[in-house]
Amino acid sequence: MLIENLLGAFAEIGNIQTLAFMVIGATAGLISGAIPGFTIAMAVVLTLPFTFGMPPAQGIATMIGVFVGGLSGGLMSGILTGIPGTPSSVATTFDGFPMARNGDPGFALGLGVWASFFGGIISAILLIAVAPQLARVGLEFQPWDYFSLVFFALTITASLAGQNLIKGLIAGALGLLIATFGEDDINGVSRFDFGVEYLQEGFAFLPVLIGLFAFSRLMTDVRDPKTATMALTEMQDVSIRIEHRRAALTVLKSWGNLIRSSLIGVFTGILPAAGSSISNVLAYDQAKKASRTPEKFGSGFADGIIAPESANNATAGGSLITMMALGIPGDIITAVMLGALLIHDVIPSPSFITEAPVLAYSIFLAFFIANFLVLGLQSGALKLFVLVTRVRMYVLAAVILAYCGIGVFALHNIVSDIWTLFIFGIVGYILRNLGFPLAPVILGVVLGPIAEKWLSRSLAISTDVSLFFTQPWSLFFVIASVFSLLFTLYQRDRGKKPWTRFYPPALMLSLSVPLFMMGGVVRPVVATGLIAFGLYLLYRAQKTQTATES
Amino acid sequence: MMKSGWFARAARSASIPEHPEAQQPFVNWKADTIMSLPNRDTIIAIGLLFFTGVLIWASFDIRSPDYGTLAPSAWPRSVLGILLVFGLIYLFQSLRASPAVAGTEESDARGGLMGWFVKYRNPLWCYLIYFLFLATLPFFGALIGGILLVFFLLSVLGGFAPKKLLLHGAIATISMGAMWSIFTFGLRVILPRGSLFEVI
Repeated sequence: MLIENLLGAFAEIGNIQTLAFMVIGATAGLISGAIPGFTIAMAVVLTLPFTFGMPPAQGIATMIGVFVGGLSGGLMSGILTGIPGTPSSVATTFDGFPMARNGDPGFALGLGVWASFFGGIISAILLIAVAPQLARVGLEFQPWDYFSLVFFALTITASLAGQNLIKGLIAGALGLLIATFGEDDINGVSRFDFGVEYLQEGFAFLPVLIGLFAFSRLMTDVRDPKTATMALTEMQDVSIRIEHRRAALTVLKSWGNLIRSSLIGVFTGILPAAGSSISNVLAYDQAKKASRTPEKFGSGFADGIIAPESANNATAGGSLITMMALGIPGDIITAVMLGALLIHDVIPSPSFITEAPVLAYSIFLAFFIANFLVLGLQSGALKLFVLVTRVRMYVLAAVILAYCGIGVFALHNIVSDIWTLFIFGIVGYILRNLGFPLAPVILGVVLGPIAEKWLSRSLAISTDVSLFFTQPWSLFFVIASVFSLLFTLYQRDRGKKPWTRFYPPALMLSLSVPLFMMGGVVRPVVATGLIAFGLYLLYRAQKTQTATES
Repeated sequence: MMKSGWFARAARSASIPEHPEAQQPFVNWKADTIMSLPNRDTIIAIGLLFFTGVLIWASFDIRSPDYGTLAPSAWPRSVLGILLVFGLIYLFQSLRASPAVAGTEESDARGGLMGWFVKYRNPLWCYLIYFLFLATLPFFGALIGGILLVFFLLSVLGGFAPKKLLLHGAIATISMGAMWSIFTFGLRVILPRGSLFEVI
């Protein structure tokens, strides 16, 4: 079955045209990842218009090329200028920049390139192995479970909120609201049209996405007249050669660090809302703790580059596992990917891998191939990166703004989509300036219609609302949602307030209940393990509490 | 060998005041006057609640068909209910916060409305030009309109020096020409032609 699906997938994307698009995508990703201030999400968003006319597998493969390229591109500016191209390369600068400054930039780049490659490959293998197994669980889901799963994904907005929880939650609710405008998918009734023809169709996903994310971001970039007219970065030395052989051998010699960091990356990616911006720092920290020479970290030490770079690329595989197996986005990039699937009339859900195995395996394969492509393209991209950095910010902004308009027009060939882009460009800019995070809005726009659909299906089967709490999987996700909402508070107060000591045991004990309800052999055993561990944590929390009080 | 560039300078200019002492008179002014004004978050919260209220009212205009279990208005009303609760929490939080820490940016208040226009002049120009591009799109079409859009955006953001105008013209023509060709011939998208071409 696996071989059959892989062969089918290879037939889908193993052609010159798709590979050429992936090469273009990976190069674009590498460059945009390398430019400080340009996020990977923005690069993926801007790629979307090009993928409309493509078959779904080709379109998604191109976007995966951008995604993987973007993750690897961040290391170039991080190592050469000390300014990370993306948040996922922050920790790379800790040792990469000192190493480059010490006269070894080619080796530093090589370490980053090869660590990224191996991290990506490890996560690709795990993606192919784990996602289909995890997706089997999805076959058990009923409408109540689906709705609760989407509800759980929506609670991720709380984690994406950053400092201000309430603003993040409001942003998420605004996203849900935006998706309700226009004709509803279930009954075909127009909502909130106010008698205006433009509003009757509702807002298309892509113009909203590009307006909120890219348009408003560009406005932020050119807000200051001084910085708008400056070059992106000033680099004078262009004669750097990546030392591939030496770097690859060093990375392989440090295999323990490589595997540990890659696993940290994959695990962080699987967790909703915990992306590569977290995993690279986490992996760096663990590498330093596990090292026999921790004092060398920060001075241009090879392990300090290997850990974050392998982790951030591995995170991509992890977030794809969540997306593919459960049909929920783990971060903003996978939210965009899900949106792209919707545009291609592919409904992401836990049964996605079973229902569309060739497309699913095409995504797996594309992720695998993208890592090889990025490895091969790094040297060329470095030269291109140096050229791009000489461009002034305002030039890039003006050209991209025009591209945004043309790009969204291509979706339905209607001018009203460009008006939507314009309106949400303003809305996004206002929200940004008022301190509202935009990632939850996107998540709300993507997940809103899916949640409504499953709610409608659930109620069509039975109007008994208690089923959302009595169906084991539904209850599992409801409990997970409650703890997900509390997670931001837990993170904020951890170690400061006593209640946070009881958060982990309470989570484990609560989750064991639906696992017991599921029956069988494995799940009750897992539930027993959770109870045992939860009780142990509870005992420790109680002990710490008593010690603190005395 | 290398120097930090745009990003570092942008970050510096955005967050670190060059002369901290220069901010002092403003801070004092703020402390004296802000007590009588609602903070920015309170105004946003009130605006949000008003917006929610309008949509709740509008949700009663949504037609309910005889078929289907979930009424078309049920989901939007649930979302609006959640938004209402969050809006009230936000309002309550903003009222509890001291005016000094509530979200009024110093530079927003400095110089009044004129200062605000100066601070946001680039985005405001961009939005105006984009609006004009959209309004004239049926006449100019995507190619000419796009070239004009990029040219005016470049000139407003980069300056109107004769040499620069020439450069901006070249960039606008080449970039839009390339984009138009890719979408028209590569992706087979029929971009708006514009009535100008029909006249010609």
